[in-house]
Amino acid sequence: MTSATYFEDVVVDQMKDTPAITVTQAHVEMYEGLTREMSVGAGEIPGVLPLCMAIGLGWRVKDPPMAVQAFVALDWKIVKPLRVGDTMRTTSRIVSKRPMRDGGLIVDERTILDQHGEVVQQGRFTFLVAKRQKEASA
Amino acid sequence: MTENRRYFDEIELHEEYESPGRTVTEADIVMFAGLSGDYNVLHTDAEFMKKTMFGERIAHGLLCLAIQSGLFTRATAPYATLGFGGLRWKFKAPVKIGDTIRLRAKVVDKKDLEPDRGLITLDRTILNQRDEVVQQGQTDLIVQKRP
Repeated sequence: MTSATYFEDVVVDQMKDTPAITVTQAHVEMYEGLTREMSVGAGEIPGVLPLCMAIGLGWRVKDPPMAVQAFVALDWKIVKPLRVGDTMRTTSRIVSKRPMRDGGLIVDERTILDQHGEVVQQGRFTFLVAKRQKEASA
Repeated sequence: MTENRRYFDEIELHEEYESPGRTVTEADIVMFAGLSGDYNVLHTDAEFMKKTMFGERIAHGLLCLAIQSGLFTRATAPYATLGFGGLRWKFKAPVKIGDTIRLRAKVVDKKDLEPDRGLITLDRTILNQRDEVVQQGQTDLIVQKRP
């Protein structure tokens, strides 16, 4: 069993910063080929691409990854466009946790910032996270 | 390419669209893992997933969200979009390799923003080949008015 952060281990108000990633024309072209969502203008990045990359950055923190069983909901705002060559990073804060019969719901507020520290996109992810299995914790 | 773009003024409340279908393949998931950096076991570890409630790898929720964004452009003539404002979204059921998804969308709100632009809110539903709802929500698009 790989190590993971289970529902019981998630701490409300805990904050995390991710490494940064430069969004390149190559990302935009791969993304457009894969999804056919097109950028609005030359040099602009399709709105959903930074959100997709934010999830990837979220796995690049030191702590063991959250034992996510399912992505439940997303509430998201695009504050300003990101352009090719910009470097994004994210910060996250655990807003709430609610136990369910199997696992529990975690609300994780994430903010995408650019290289100037300005907010580019922001919103809340709701994840279903597994509880620790008795045999796994033994 | 820009001639047939539809301006804010021309988009009517309650317009409805349905996109063609698109089969989500293993290649889509592998490419999306590489592009997004999301290598979570849900999407990449076939053996681990055999033991879960899903029984196999599932597509990233955001992959299907991104695919529906592309399907929207194939469902109707392009809007004169200036930007994407945001979304409120629910992931209701998994999409597995080989599932075919399509988008159903409806204009539910039009709001004046500035002299040159307005906000169009769409209800969007992603359905699979069994007509089950896999994702559903609302998106806000900032659309240019006729100059």
